[in-house]
Amino acid sequence: MLSRTITRLPLILGIAFIVLFVILPLVGMLAETFWGAEGFDLSPWSHLFEEARDRQAFFTSIQLGLACVAVALVLGGGHAWLCGTRDLPGWRVLGPLGVLPLALPPITIAMGWSDITVTKSFWFCAVLVGVAFAPFVAVMTARGLDTIDGRSYESALLSRGRTSAELLVLRSALPEILAGALFVFVFAVGEYGVPEFLTIKGKTWHTYSEAVFARWTRRATGSGMEDLVGPIVASVPLLVLVLFAMFVALLLRARATISGSFAPLPRRSLGALRVPALLLPVTYLGIGVIVPIVVMVRWAMGSTDVTEPMSFEVLRRTFERTFEQAGGDLRFTFLVAVLTTIVLVVIGPPLARSVAKRGILVQSLVAIPIAVPAVLLAVGFVKVYNRPELGPLYDRTFDFYDSAGIVVVAYGARFLPFAILTMLHAQRRVDPTLEEAALFGERGPLARVLHVRLPLILPALWSMACLVLVLALRELDTAVVLPAGNGTVVRRLSNVIHFGGEAMGGALGLMVFAGACALPVVTMLVTGKKMRSLS
Amino acid sequence: MVSIELQDLVFERRKGFRLGPISLTLGDGSRTALVGPSGCGKTTLLRCLAGLETPGSGSIRIGDRLVQGDGVHVPADKRRIGFVFQDGALWPHKTAMAHLRFVAPRLSRKDAKALLHAVGLEGRERRRPAQLSGGERQRLALARALAITPDVLVLDEPLASVDVHLRDELALLVRRLTEERALTLVVVTHDRDEALAMADDVVILREGHVVEQGAARDVLRAPRTSFAASFLCRASVWPAEAVADERGIDSLRTPFGTFERNGAPTGPVSVVVLPGEARIAAQDATNVARARVLRVLPRGDRALVTAEVAGRTIELFADASDTIDVGDTLTVELLGKPRFLVPDRRSGERVSSTKKNGDRS
Repeated sequence: MLSRTITRLPLILGIAFIVLFVILPLVGMLAETFWGAEGFDLSPWSHLFEEARDRQAFFTSIQLGLACVAVALVLGGGHAWLCGTRDLPGWRVLGPLGVLPLALPPITIAMGWSDITVTKSFWFCAVLVGVAFAPFVAVMTARGLDTIDGRSYESALLSRGRTSAELLVLRSALPEILAGALFVFVFAVGEYGVPEFLTIKGKTWHTYSEAVFARWTRRATGSGMEDLVGPIVASVPLLVLVLFAMFVALLLRARATISGSFAPLPRRSLGALRVPALLLPVTYLGIGVIVPIVVMVRWAMGSTDVTEPMSFEVLRRTFERTFEQAGGDLRFTFLVAVLTTIVLVVIGPPLARSVAKRGILVQSLVAIPIAVPAVLLAVGFVKVYNRPELGPLYDRTFDFYDSAGIVVVAYGARFLPFAILTMLHAQRRVDPTLEEAALFGERGPLARVLHVRLPLILPALWSMACLVLVLALRELDTAVVLPAGNGTVVRRLSNVIHFGGEAMGGALGLMVFAGACALPVVTMLVTGKKMRSLS
Repeated sequence: MVSIELQDLVFERRKGFRLGPISLTLGDGSRTALVGPSGCGKTTLLRCLAGLETPGSGSIRIGDRLVQGDGVHVPADKRRIGFVFQDGALWPHKTAMAHLRFVAPRLSRKDAKALLHAVGLEGRERRRPAQLSGGERQRLALARALAITPDVLVLDEPLASVDVHLRDELALLVRRLTEERALTLVVVTHDRDEALAMADDVVILREGHVVEQGAARDVLRAPRTSFAASFLCRASVWPAEAVADERGIDSLRTPFGTFERNGAPTGPVSVVVLPGEARIAAQDATNVARARVLRVLPRGDRALVTAEVAGRTIELFADASDTIDVGDTLTVELLGKPRFLVPDRRSGERVSSTKKNGDRS
């Protein structure tokens, strides 16, 4: 009985988490669009997109999202395609590196490029954001290619020729590629950090998230909470669009066969293009990792300091000073990221298991927290957990609203879809009879979970943990709204750059990058296996 | 030893599949094969018996225990059933020894070793499934099922993923172990040889219903349905007509000629010819039909000839020295009287009449 209760506890906690930290903030926020100061009021809905400024910002975000998808498909998808199917020199090393841009906060990529170019155009922004999220497409394309039976390619090649065979491969990997593109779209549409950073550098066009945040910050100067109702209403069509796209992606993924008997795809020759083809991975990694890292290293070595030349001594001193001044932020950020990861590792698998038993419609609803722009999701948290009624409770217990706790649950809510979708796919790949076989023993439910279920999903669980850790380390959009988020490194990073603290910014960026790389790199070194974080 | 009793068992799936109602009794220590074509519901029936699926209605009794029905659902781990899955369902991260010790924690290391020895896995205790051959994996699955000292051993297509030359060996192992341990055995298969190698009784399923059951020997000798005849007995079945002429003489018109029949009702019937009931005709033979040779397979000093007679195939033996080639025309002779099956009004299934054989007119 105790064993059964313990095995059910994570699911109960997961459901409680969804109710408290996903449904409550979102429904609470949505409810405000119906109840104004004078009671029930549908006027915000009748004024949807009435303001030209809102309309413009919204459609700019959609355009940005689509442009980022195009960039991610070309660079991230192209990288994975070349490394997964062609005899590209060094494909073994280059392939796993496709995930690397994910280890850098998007704002650091923008910071790096702003140091060497003055462009603030739409496409410049799209390339930066697109590359920052392109690892989703890269990893999922690689995943899709991995699940194609090479014999089906060969039979198409023999019967229909090379073009048909290549099209067959593309068609087979398409569900995964589309799912990756969808993730890029939802992140890019809701992206706040990079567009805001470029605005400060002189960009004149604005995105939806910038508009939401601008209204949010105007609260303190006389603008009312109701001012936000318009953007909340405006987010609903976006939400519907994303949920529909997620539904289609999941439908396609569910139809994709997971073959038991399997031959890997044959690696095709690039011929004379073998070396020139390296240009694509080099461009992708150059934009997403190499240039930003080089710029940050230069900053940390004192490139912007006019009193002293660049040197390793300056680098050492910069790191020392950064630890002194931002050590607390670093500890806070890693604590929040680790706690978020632990929360999702505990509740993700049982929720995925529960969701797997339901239809694809329910599975696509799981995507709601990422479909809502992060800034808006965080506003929902503030609205629900910063109510005066909760004051006495916080006094008696602890001030949840000002603690790391609210950042952990907000990050947890935001990245919950990744945890569930990753585990959902892993669950699909596990032969159900392996768990059924354990039912016939004398062991209780807890032993069955620990000895059979857990080892079977462990690789996916570990990949998911690495992914969530990395995403939590680089998250900015949620942190800018939550007061407790001011203590995160990425928040400090965006502040110090605004105020000319490039040296410390460079050091902080490098530390986050190293922290984000540590867990996956150690895992790869220990297990000798590549990690498919989103599989 | 325990008996198994299924009473009016019905299982329905959303996509329109329906199993049952099925009522069966399997005796103490019996060895029964559930056979039938793919999708007929045999695995579902097995899973209901094991507690992995919950039937919509009906009851299951194992020994004197009601395990399903009347609001009772005894979970799989309390039914004392050892289950061998089709592909073994072995845990990739566990060694052979760990498989046994996980399902039966009270099993001593010595006993576990003895069990592995009994299934032919001595010296493989520390190997994981990936380090075992296909046959060894299935032996491990069998050992794991036996480790919990079950009353009933249930096997779901246990030899499907095993090389042909190992199947007999494993089938004999299953027989020996169930005899030694006095287990009631239920095995699911769509392979006739596999069924007959492990079981003494057969239950033939088709589209969710039992079409025939009984001792395998009896069913093979005299199938009561045309489905059982063709599926299990590899019989050749032809449609025929039972008629009565103006003189009042009943006769049976078949591809092998017209036979006198004994009292079967007039109308369409099926003529069934079991293996060994026909041969390549001698020159002066009667009861013959023309056949076209489709395939010739050497079998030692004989050859197995597959030929087509009136649109249906029949298998015959010829001397290896005979020069028979694909495409040749032969004359096939029936040995004795043909057995015929009349249609059942309720099921449409051809079933045996009480008076089976006709006499040559």
